[in-house]
Amino acid sequence: MKMVNAFNMKRAAAGLRRINLDGLRWRVFDAKGQVLGRLASQIATVVQGKDKPTYTPNRDDGDMCIVLNAKDVCVTGRKLTDKVYYWHTGYVGHLKERTFKDQMAKDPTEVIRKAVLRMLPRNKLRDDRDRKLRIFPGSEHPFGDRPLEPYVMPPRRVREMRPRERRAMIREQKKAELQQQNNDGTKKGKKREAPEESA
Amino acid sequence: MNKDKIFKLAKGFRGRAKNCIRIARERVEKALQYSYRDRRNKKRDMRSLWIQRINAGTRQHGVNYGNFMHGLMKENIQLNRKVLSELSMHEPYSFKALVDISKNAFPGNKNVVIPPRKVAV
Repeated sequence: MKMVNAFNMKRAAAGLRRINLDGLRWRVFDAKGQVLGRLASQIATVVQGKDKPTYTPNRDDGDMCIVLNAKDVCVTGRKLTDKVYYWHTGYVGHLKERTFKDQMAKDPTEVIRKAVLRMLPRNKLRDDRDRKLRIFPGSEHPFGDRPLEPYVMPPRRVREMRPRERRAMIREQKKAELQQQNNDGTKKGKKREAPEESA
Repeated sequence: MNKDKIFKLAKGFRGRAKNCIRIARERVEKALQYSYRDRRNKKRDMRSLWIQRINAGTRQHGVNYGNFMHGLMKENIQLNRKVLSELSMHEPYSFKALVDISKNAFPGNKNVVIPPRKVAV
């Protein structure tokens, strides 16, 4: 798969003439604080047009999806360091890999794009649906003059923590409290990262 | 005589399959087998498409397909999926009335939603 090296604003607004119908709505997704996969599955449903009762499988009817704040998308667990994207260049032995963190540093939009693209059905409409998906790392986008509709994510059911996770979390909380008590007064206010919680 | 029939059935095939009898005969046999199988598959595919459309229509009103159909069964409304999908496409107000009937009959078993905890990046 071709990896884009950096985010280009002109590329993000290009290719609009190839999309035929403009009876489509423009839905805006805010990725800030959303979990990657859950957001991607909702985007995939909307881009396919499966939330409309006029869905036809041989015709691409999905809405235009704009995703903002792609650099603020979250993952749970240890995926920040442990999720690896692999791709093979075609030459023998050239299996390349890149971790989630590096990919976010290089081009945060690719993360969401890969996630959504891999959730779409592998048929001839996939490329057209890819063209309807526009992702931006920040909140700036060149589509300000269009009639945009924000998409409200469905409420998420977070499962209860398992006992081992809960004990680990309590241990880390106690450690953080002890550190806080030590830091107060003697050391400079060094900002500690909040411990990663598994949801 | 048979050759003419075969070529007539082989119209629109790719490459030599529409011109040369030996290849056309094989392709036409396969095509007839596929059409036999697909006359039965079409009924399944159409029902699946109706169900997808009804699902999309009801989710716009906050109910999913399973709960909707259960509510209709409870009220003994025997509209089939074909009609329901047509209603959801072309008659939105009637469809909303049906969704309300179903919601009255079977409110669904939604669990309590815990507000999600944010995970820092």
